Amino acid sequence: MLKKIYLVGNPNVGKSVVFSRLTGVHVISSNYPGSTVGFTEGFLQLGDNKVEVIDLPGLYSLDPSSGAEKVAVSLLNEHPKDEILVVNIIDSTNLERNLLLTLQLIEGGYPVVACLNMCDDAGHRGVSIDYGKLEKLLNIPVIPTCAVTGVGIKLLIERLRDTRPQLRPEPTHEERWKEIGLIIEQVQRLEHRHHTLRELLEDASVRPVTGLLMAGVVLYLSFKIVRFIGEIIIERVTDPIFSNLYQPLLERLVLGWKESSFVFHLLIGGLIDGKIDFKQSLGILTTAPYIEFGMVLPYVFSFYLILSLLEDIGYLPRLAILLDNILHRLGLHGYAVIPLMLGFGCNVPGILSTRVLESKRERFIASTLISIGIPCVPLQAMIFGLLGKFGGMYVVGVYLCLFLLIIILGLILNRLLKGYSPEFILEIPPYRFPPVTILLKKLYFRVKGFIVEAVPIVLLGVLFINILLYFNIFDLLTGFFSPIITGLFGLPKEAVVSLAVGFLRKDVAIGMLMPLGLTAKQLFIAATLLAVSFPCVATFFVLWKELGVKYLLRATFIMLTVSIIVGSLLNFLVLPPSLIFPR
Amino acid sequence: MTLAQLKGNTKAKILDITGGKALTGRLMNMGIYKGKELLKLSHIGLRGPVVVKAGRTILALGHGIAEKIIVEA
Repeated sequence: MLKKIYLVGNPNVGKSVVFSRLTGVHVISSNYPGSTVGFTEGFLQLGDNKVEVIDLPGLYSLDPSSGAEKVAVSLLNEHPKDEILVVNIIDSTNLERNLLLTLQLIEGGYPVVACLNMCDDAGHRGVSIDYGKLEKLLNIPVIPTCAVTGVGIKLLIERLRDTRPQLRPEPTHEERWKEIGLIIEQVQRLEHRHHTLRELLEDASVRPVTGLLMAGVVLYLSFKIVRFIGEIIIERVTDPIFSNLYQPLLERLVLGWKESSFVFHLLIGGLIDGKIDFKQSLGILTTAPYIEFGMVLPYVFSFYLILSLLEDIGYLPRLAILLDNILHRLGLHGYAVIPLMLGFGCNVPGILSTRVLESKRERFIASTLISIGIPCVPLQAMIFGLLGKFGGMYVVGVYLCLFLLIIILGLILNRLLKGYSPEFILEIPPYRFPPVTILLKKLYFRVKGFIVEAVPIVLLGVLFINILLYFNIFDLLTGFFSPIITGLFGLPKEAVVSLAVGFLRKDVAIGMLMPLGLTAKQLFIAATLLAVSFPCVATFFVLWKELGVKYLLRATFIMLTVSIIVGSLLNFLVLPPSLIFPR
Repeated sequence: MTLAQLKGNTKAKILDITGGKALTGRLMNMGIYKGKELLKLSHIGLRGPVVVKAGRTILALGHGIAEKIIVEA
C-alpha cells in the first residue's frame, strides 16, 4: 500500500515545479539552488488512493554528511520501502551530474521513478537523450517532462506504479562516476552548435570585467525600473482612485459627524482644513489604507516583478560570484547575496533563506546585517514617497548610509566572532526563460501574501495607536525618551511615537511622521533610524525562531547601539547645518 | 600547480585534492574528483572565486578551495 511519494533531486532541477503540478499546491520556485529550504507537503489522487507527496530540499548525494542530506535520508527511512515511492527529478541538460543521486537511490533499495525534467531546454542546447535505453540501463521508468508547461506530467503519474525496488551492490563514488560515464556514452548525444547569444551572456556574466559591467547595468536598471513602474502605478492608478473616488465618497459619508467624537477619531482621524488628508489624518479608513494601497502596494508589485524575473532567469548566483570576495571579508560568502536580495522585499523571507548558509555564525551575521542594513520594500516605498520630495540625493544618502553600515558592521562582526568565513561551492545555473504565466503566478502569490499579512496588522496597529493617542498615553513615553530623540537625534519629541510604531510596521511608522512637518535633515535621520533600529515584530519573531533567544538578544543589543551611534553621528557630524532648512 | 594558479580558459586534469574528507566529499558529490578533467573559465580578482566547467556543470569555488585542488594543464 503506497503511503508517501518523495520528490528527490539535485538542487535547482525543478522539484518544486513538479510538486506544484502533482499536487496543485503552489510553492515559490526560482532558478537558483536552495529555493526550497524546508519541506512542503501536498496530496495526489492516485486511483481511489490519496497519497501524500513531499517536496524535499535539493541534494547532491545521499551521504549523510551535511544537514540537509541527513534530514532527507532520515525522512526516506521513516516508512518501510514498499510503502513509499521516490520520484527522482533530473535536470535533462545535466544528466551526468544528476545520475550520482539516481544510482544511490536505486542502490539504497528505494522504488524509484526517474523524471527527466526540462527536456525542452535540453533540446535547445543540443542535448539529445535516448530515454528508452536509459530506462533499460537503470531498470526503472524514465519519463521526460517539462514541468513548467506540464508536458509529460500525466505520463509520469500513470507510470508511478511501474517500479520495483532492486538489489544492487553499493560501490564507491569513484566507481559510480565510472559507471555514469559509461551510461552517458550510450544514452546522450551532444550536438555541436555555435554559441548562442544566451551562452555568450552566461559566459560574460562569470568573468571579472564583463561580469562587473553586467552587474552594474542589471542592478541599476532593476532599481530604475522598480521605481518607474511603482511611480506609474501611483500616478495613474492608485492616486486617482484615492482622490477622485474614495475621498469624495468618504467625505460625503462622514463629514456630518461630530469631529471630536471617539469613533470619528479612530476611523477618520483629524481633518486638515475641514477635509480628509490621506497623508495626515491618521485614521483607520484614511491614512491606513492610503499607506498600504496608495504608497506601498505599487512598489511591492514592481519590486517582486523584477526580483522574480531575476530569480527565474538565474542571475542571482552570478552576482554571488562577483560579490564573494567582499562578502568574505564580512564573514559571509558570495551566496549570502540571496538572503540579502530577498531581504529587500521583506526581511522575513530574507532571514529565513539564511538557511542556505552553512554555519550558525554566518546565519547570525547575515540576519543581523539584514535587519539593520536592508530596508524592506514598504519602508523604501515610504522613503521614496516622503524623502524623495526633497530631492533624489537624500534617498541615495539613506542607501549609502545603510550600505556603509553593512560593510563596517560586517567587518567588526567578522573580527569579533569566533570562527571563520567558510568557502563556497556553488553551482551556477544556466539562464532560463520560464513562461510568463509562471512568473505572473509567483508575483500574484507574493503580492497576495503581502496583502494578507500586512493589511490586518496595519489596520489593528493604527486602531491601537489611535486609542493610545486619544487617551494621551504616548505622552509618558515621549517625556521619557525626549532627551535622546531631541538631544541626540535632533528630532521633535513627537517622533518617539513613530519610532515606537516602527516595531509594528515600518511603513506606518514613517506614515506617522507625515503630519509632523519635518525638515529634510530630520526626515533623513528618522528614516535611517527606522531602517537601522529595532526590527518590526514579524522580523523579530523570525529572528527569535531562527537564531534562538541568546543570539536574538545579541542582535537586538547591536541594533540599539548602532541606532544611537548612527542617529547622533548623522545629527552632529555628517549633515552640515546648511542642510537643516533647505526649503 | 593549483587551480587558483591555472590560467583562465585552460583545460586541466585534477591530480589531487589536498583538503579534508568533508571537502573532498562535497566536491566528489558535484563531480569534482581526482582524474576528472575540467575547464577553468575565469577567476575573480582579489582572492575571489574560481569558475570552472566540469562536464555540463558550471561551478564557482571559493578561492581557498581552488588552492587545494592540484591540477595539470
